Amino acid sequence: MEWDSVPWLLILPVLIIQLLLVVVALIDLLRVKNTNGSKWMWAIIIILISIIGPVIYFIVGRRNE
Amino acid sequence: MNNFSILFQKEWRENVRNFKILWIPLVFILFGISEPLMYHYLPQILNAVGNMPSDMVFPLPDYTPEQIIMSTIGQYQFIGMLIVAFGFAGIIARERRNGTATMLYVRPIAYTSYVFSKLAIMCILIIGSACIGLLANVYYTYILYGAVDAVAFIGFLGTYSIWLLFAISVVICASSAFPTGIASVISIFLLVVLQLVDGLLGAYWTISPWKLPMYAGQILTGSFDKTPYLWSLTVTIMMVVLLIVGAIYIAKRNVAKAKI
Amino acid sequence: MKTLLHVQGLTKDYGNEKAVDQITFSLNKNTATALIGPNGAGKTTTLSILAGLLRQTSGTLVIDGDLKGDSRKEIGFLPQYPQFFSWLTALEFIEMVAKLSGLDGKFTKSQAIRTLDFVGLGDAKNKKTGTFSGGMKQRLGLAQAIVHKPGLLLLDEPVSALDPVGRREVLNLLKELQEHTTILYSTHILNDAEEMTDQLLFLRKGQLVEQGSLKEVRDKYANPLFKILFSDSEEAAKFIEIAPWPARQENEIVYIHLLENKPLMNEVLQVLANSNLRLSRVERASASLEEIFLQVVNKHE
Repeated sequence: MEWDSVPWLLILPVLIIQLLLVVVALIDLLRVKNTNGSKWMWAIIIILISIIGPVIYFIVGRRNE
Repeated sequence: MNNFSILFQKEWRENVRNFKILWIPLVFILFGISEPLMYHYLPQILNAVGNMPSDMVFPLPDYTPEQIIMSTIGQYQFIGMLIVAFGFAGIIARERRNGTATMLYVRPIAYTSYVFSKLAIMCILIIGSACIGLLANVYYTYILYGAVDAVAFIGFLGTYSIWLLFAISVVICASSAFPTGIASVISIFLLVVLQLVDGLLGAYWTISPWKLPMYAGQILTGSFDKTPYLWSLTVTIMMVVLLIVGAIYIAKRNVAKAKI
Repeated sequence: MKTLLHVQGLTKDYGNEKAVDQITFSLNKNTATALIGPNGAGKTTTLSILAGLLRQTSGTLVIDGDLKGDSRKEIGFLPQYPQFFSWLTALEFIEMVAKLSGLDGKFTKSQAIRTLDFVGLGDAKNKKTGTFSGGMKQRLGLAQAIVHKPGLLLLDEPVSALDPVGRREVLNLLKELQEHTTILYSTHILNDAEEMTDQLLFLRKGQLVEQGSLKEVRDKYANPLFKILFSDSEEAAKFIEIAPWPARQENEIVYIHLLENKPLMNEVLQVLANSNLRLSRVERASASLEEIFLQVVNKHE
């Protein structure tokens, strides 16, 4: 696939939103007092599993007290 | 409804500070824009990553814009429903369990306001996010596949929102009646499992809330049966009313179960 | 004195178990009443019913006729382990509950700040409640119970979880409040009850086994006694052997209960003088609330 033919204008929002999700999840991970499981594990999940990683963190990892 | 706005402010602050107000719309937008992209560029992506012989040609089916939008709805119907069920099953039950509810229940609050504050915040988070996501989706689809009829799209969005309202009511009622764990299992069953059952066996009936997303798609393509659609809509709205009234009644009855 | 609340035959069943069994009592306006009893006696259940969180199986509650409408407006309730929405600051929380209790919107903020200052949380008012320590939570719990100036304050073990300094401070706050509020509080720490009480209610296994003012209960149960403090417990034990009256030893202290005003002080001193035992103090005292409590409980065993 040619570098020029990649529709960057269309793909850029996808990348930005993915990055935003990861950043928001990481900020939350830093601020929240307790998580279900270790914080390191969640940091890895958030960063490595694209899209779903942050979502799993927000739903499962965050302990809503 | 005298203390609705006070209770709603509390819900709003909670969901701003736990970032739900950010991540839920982001997830819906992400699926909304990546679905048309994936379909459109899938052959090139496969070519780029798969070391395919360059002369190999993928037959590229001609998707209509409507098919792309309905495929996005398919994503929302699974991942969106998981977020609704798991992300909100504790919306009432958790307050009861951790004892924070006691601080509210000892005051002269109307349980109608209490349940409506939960309903309002969920509508904003879920229906709002889905609508923003579908608008982003229709924009990307327009660029890559072409336009859809505007009036039909509004009808589609409205119908799908009613389905989401039904899903939200199910979760609120379950959370009002049961502890968080049971409420999430019940919600998953009613929103995901029954959806599959309706999909597999649904040829035998035409009126059901679980068929609303399908009817929404038919509205989009402009080919739909008015009678079963309107009946399904009516039945769904009636069930929403029943679930919300039930949630209010049960929330009041379950006050005694709040941890003191 | 004006009655604020009359409770008649209050009963709460859980299946066959009676958590609260036919309790009858009244609370007079601007008085403090201590609900005393061992764990599981039904103190929390009683308070929860009065707070409207539980519905009684039978019995009636009559709240003073002045309190019109939803009586929950006139009640402040502090649970034993108050829990807060961790994402709200103390001020946001107190403002919210003040509004929910029907306080006029214009005054809620100043009233919330005043209340937080009163309980000693003025400096922490903009901190999230999720970061609060146990003692701070107890104070915040008190603040949410009093911010709307309720006529009836229900407190479940308000000071049991506090350290001695905190306990003293909160007790002083409660005494201040009592001048214009009716307070009903439960405790299992009897020194606290002695501190601030116009009426005592002794609960045991859901039943009200004794009630009255501190003086009435004292007169009824506390036979006067001599309390003799020896230098050590061995000396005390020697005294028990030679004492011509029934006596009871607790470490280095010996108690002699008076029966029909016998023995006399000089008789006791005589025996002590002849014994050559080393002692540091002799006093005529009446039983502490703790001893009365044990007597009341034992009587109904």
